[in-house]
Amino acid sequence: MLILSRRANQSIMIGSDIQIVVLEIRGDQVRIGIRAPRDVTVHREEVHREITEQNRAASAARPDVATLPVPGADSA
Amino acid sequence: MLITSEHLGDVDVAEENVIEFPDGLLGFPECTRFALISAEESGVYAWLQSTDQAELSFLVVVPAPFFPDYEPEISEADCAALELVEPADAQILCLVTIQTTLVTANLLGPVVLNVANRRARQVVLTDTELSTAEPIVPSR
Repeated sequence: MLILSRRANQSIMIGSDIQIVVLEIRGDQVRIGIRAPRDVTVHREEVHREITEQNRAASAARPDVATLPVPGADSA
Repeated sequence: MLITSEHLGDVDVAEENVIEFPDGLLGFPECTRFALISAEESGVYAWLQSTDQAELSFLVVVPAPFFPDYEPEISEADCAALELVEPADAQILCLVTIQTTLVTANLLGPVVLNVANRRARQVVLTDTELSTAEPIVPSR
């Protein structure tokens, strides 16, 4: 992994069109700005991981479809 | 085409119900072709069965009947990847997870299908209020 030290308002270029800007450093939190082409998706890593884990769990779901909740079938 | 599913057996699937996921699903990047197979009579549930791996299938749900306020905003990047131009061509499906008796839907990472070209993608929404395991309850 490439490791760089940056101060607030300094940035990093990835390729020629992705810019990562360190906006603010406060305590243990860093605010980061990302400038990237619209076709580049940017997400928090933990969201990505959560969905990956949920997909793994979903791939194991083998319910009896007759027992699934269906619209308009609320008996309460 | 005939598709072999570990869970459903051999299923004959119409060509128009075979969809491409160029990037796969998160955690399953290598599986890029799935068949959409209706799972029950109400029409809100379907199986997403990998055409390559018989053992890989997901249950998906049409979210609208259960979550009427759920209106995922699809990013330009995702629309571009799907070549999605007309909003009416977008069909939203959510992966279902079962925890003992609780049936949940992943609202944070829905599958968006462009019905015009049968291309689909699992998108990651930026709305942090959404859950990956929102309980599905019968609509009132």
